[in-house]
Amino acid sequence: MAQAPKEFSIVGKRTPRIDAYERVTGQAHYTGDIQLPGMLYARLLRSNVPHAKIVSIDISKAEKLPGVKAVIHHENAKVPWSSGGHTHQRFIFNNPVRFVGDAVAAVAATDRHIAEDALKLIEIKYEKIPHVLDPNEALKPDAPKISTNGNLSVGKGAFSAPIEESWGDLEKGFKEADQTFEDTYITKHTNNAQLERRVSIAKWDAGKLTVYASTQGVSNARTDIAKDFGLPLSRVRVVSKYMGGGFGNKNQAQDYDYMAAVLAKVTNQPVKLEFTREDDYIGMHGRWPSEQHYKIGVKKDGTITAVQLDAVTNMGAYRKQSGNLSGTDFYNIPNFKKVIKPVHTNTVVSANYRAPAYPQSVFGFASFLDHIAYELGINPLDMFMKNRIQKYKSKLPFTSNYLEQCIIEGSKRIGWNEKWHKPGAAPGVNKHGIGMALGGYPFRPGLGAATIRINADGSAHLLVGVTDIGTGAKSTMAIIAAEALGIPLNQIQVTNGDTDVTPYSVGESGSRTTSFTGPAVIAAAEDVRRQIFALAAPELKAKAEELDLRDGQVFVKSDPSQKIPLERAVARAGELIGRATTNPEFKDVEGKSFSAHFAEVEVDTLTGHVRITRYVAAHDSGNILNRMPAESQIMGGVVQGIGMAFSEELIIDKLTATPINPNYRDAKVPTHLEAPNVEVIFVEHYDPYGPFGGKVVGEPPITAAVATIANAIFNATGKRIKELPITPDKILQARQV
Amino acid sequence: MEEKKKGTKLSRRSFLKGIGGGAIGTAVISAGLIKSDSAEAYSPETVGARGNRAAITLKVNGKAYRVEVEHRSTLAEVLRDELGLTGTKIGCDRGECGACTVIINGRNMYSCSQLAVWMEGKDILTIEGLAKGDKLDPLQEAFIEHDGPQCGFCTSGQIMSGKALLMKNSKPNEAQARRGLSGNLCRCGNYNREVAAVLAVAAKAR
Repeated sequence: MAQAPKEFSIVGKRTPRIDAYERVTGQAHYTGDIQLPGMLYARLLRSNVPHAKIVSIDISKAEKLPGVKAVIHHENAKVPWSSGGHTHQRFIFNNPVRFVGDAVAAVAATDRHIAEDALKLIEIKYEKIPHVLDPNEALKPDAPKISTNGNLSVGKGAFSAPIEESWGDLEKGFKEADQTFEDTYITKHTNNAQLERRVSIAKWDAGKLTVYASTQGVSNARTDIAKDFGLPLSRVRVVSKYMGGGFGNKNQAQDYDYMAAVLAKVTNQPVKLEFTREDDYIGMHGRWPSEQHYKIGVKKDGTITAVQLDAVTNMGAYRKQSGNLSGTDFYNIPNFKKVIKPVHTNTVVSANYRAPAYPQSVFGFASFLDHIAYELGINPLDMFMKNRIQKYKSKLPFTSNYLEQCIIEGSKRIGWNEKWHKPGAAPGVNKHGIGMALGGYPFRPGLGAATIRINADGSAHLLVGVTDIGTGAKSTMAIIAAEALGIPLNQIQVTNGDTDVTPYSVGESGSRTTSFTGPAVIAAAEDVRRQIFALAAPELKAKAEELDLRDGQVFVKSDPSQKIPLERAVARAGELIGRATTNPEFKDVEGKSFSAHFAEVEVDTLTGHVRITRYVAAHDSGNILNRMPAESQIMGGVVQGIGMAFSEELIIDKLTATPINPNYRDAKVPTHLEAPNVEVIFVEHYDPYGPFGGKVVGEPPITAAVATIANAIFNATGKRIKELPITPDKILQARQV
Repeated sequence: MEEKKKGTKLSRRSFLKGIGGGAIGTAVISAGLIKSDSAEAYSPETVGARGNRAAITLKVNGKAYRVEVEHRSTLAEVLRDELGLTGTKIGCDRGECGACTVIINGRNMYSCSQLAVWMEGKDILTIEGLAKGDKLDPLQEAFIEHDGPQCGFCTSGQIMSGKALLMKNSKPNEAQARRGLSGNLCRCGNYNREVAAVLAVAAKAR
């Protein structure tokens, strides 16, 4: 059991976020709150047909509306959007349009109401092309072709298809099995649905483009924009100071950033382009839906001998992200093969949403495993414990792995042994059920950078490119800096998310901020500490390496009474600047955060309504750097999982190919009334590879939540629902069978 | 209309030229779109439709504002765009999420679903009006202590609904707190924290 190398002074405490004050007083200025002099407002028009060639687009009436400044569309603004699609060239406006919701035109006007009015005056003639909505239909040879490469979404590198992975000997594995099971699980498209609608403000100054974006990653947004607009990086500035959530669908630059930039260019005025909530639901992306077919071989005692996964994921009209399914990651599978086909259809695009490849496939695999336990007469707790992953692909060790402790502590807390009963065996109309599943998320190192300025008065500025999308990343970076520097937290000011000022950051996605940028903050602190000690050494009559800094005092380690205040050491230098770019690597070791979730439910067998009565989430995320926001992340991830389990689904009307519920009310995101009290357990151990021992926190909590609830419902009813969302009608129907 | 057209006389300058060249495959914006620098002088320019507007007095956070608004402008838009009170957020603009919640005559309401012209003579309280000088409202303090904001975008609305509840009932129990906040979505799923903050204030009132 790894121990922390030293006692921490601030790491691991319950520290309120450093910017909580701004957020509770309305003083945090999000992108949409920014108003620039002479700023125009822009709105978007979207296709109302699923697949069609635009024969003509008549903007003359819209242009004549007083207040309208510019109308752009596929003919007059042919701007590539490279990160928007990886199988065929995607532009900000496309002809043909490929789904109901594909952007067709944007209008900039003196106010948003005029821009909205103008949209209604744009006349478009479409020539319809046959379309396909179902991914299995799309794979048939005579299906309408959406991508120039066909409907199997074949792109380059990470976007190749099908996605294949295998190890061991599948045939041998199934031979070794006492029993083999096969089944199919289905999940639906759910939207990230962050509260902040997309907004982008662009302005040009003497050939330099500034975009105030609502992006999770200012550095990668700048790279995208520079590439597609043919600008040097030095002439693009991307700023994102406060972010109203994204959960994976605001990373990088998106088409609306480009549209704002084009409109600002042609009008020579700053332009704010705002999405409506409907735009947000249909115009960006949600989680890829999937159809997962599993074949699982097991021994009589439940030990897995082989797993074969064949799946189809529906990426919509463009391939923005992988379409992979990784829910098998948390199990020891000696012989494995998966073949996943990401497919194009004429539907809303699917891409990253918190732990992109996980909750849908954890639902499939952990549900099936729970079911196999039932078939074999094994307690699910034993089934999950027995098959939990211990080594990566049965070979590589993990940097740390306390999945076993998560299972033990979580099951103890919920009282599994006392409460578990045979599925469907609970008495009464309101049936009790208990369920569990395993989850987690990869923890990997990577490129990070940080700059620390020590001012003449001993206060410090930390400059990092990170955006704080709600994880508390800004606070975490400040805490890491305070700990590493030996300066009180309240003496540290964080400047973040501005590519003109802050150094490179990976972008707040894939739970990478702490693991990528954290080590750079520590290294920058060490760099500036060396400079401080060199300056202080003569006065303290000691060698630089004999000095230390704590609570703003530079002192001699062997005699702490020999000390001077930090500001005295810095004063003569004016200021000191420490900086670091770090890029650590893992050798012969794999990183992962782990979790085991447990839920108790009560199923009303007359109405099919399910109430979660207790929820316990046990997590191994290494050493916890800031306890309170980390707990909040776990609670929030579970609540998102609850939405996915019970209610959320973007429904596409089969007749019109139109999403019929692109809004909060009809897509049914969880409210205060659906949120249980989530009990969080951190099985806390110092990870030798993480900054101050920390692993990832942000994505893991959603991964196991859906399957946990599904398994609890099975335990209550004895009926397995194999398709999300698990709505009351499905529960009632299953009970009648 | 005719003059406006003249005002937007177009030049032959291309977009790429304007930004100093670019690589193949990068943005191409048709020449016709770029306005000339030498557009005819003195042509009048429309800067917002002036029709269908009314001058109203809005009483916000104890201060009266005289403001001219479009009839169709919502209170949320006017608070944000005209008065600069951007602490009130707009998440859906259709009465579903509650990010725009303000307190009107003692009740928490969605300001995206109230027209500004209906607000004459009403007392409006926004997130900016909660603190007394430097002293935060106890609910704001509780939101800091209990990690109420994750991304923070719904936070103003959560606090205003919590405040409205506490104004009516200083000691709500957990179920009442949940119900009181239930019109405010939090996609970060931070519901446990927001309820805990309201209950912490209630506990102090006991």
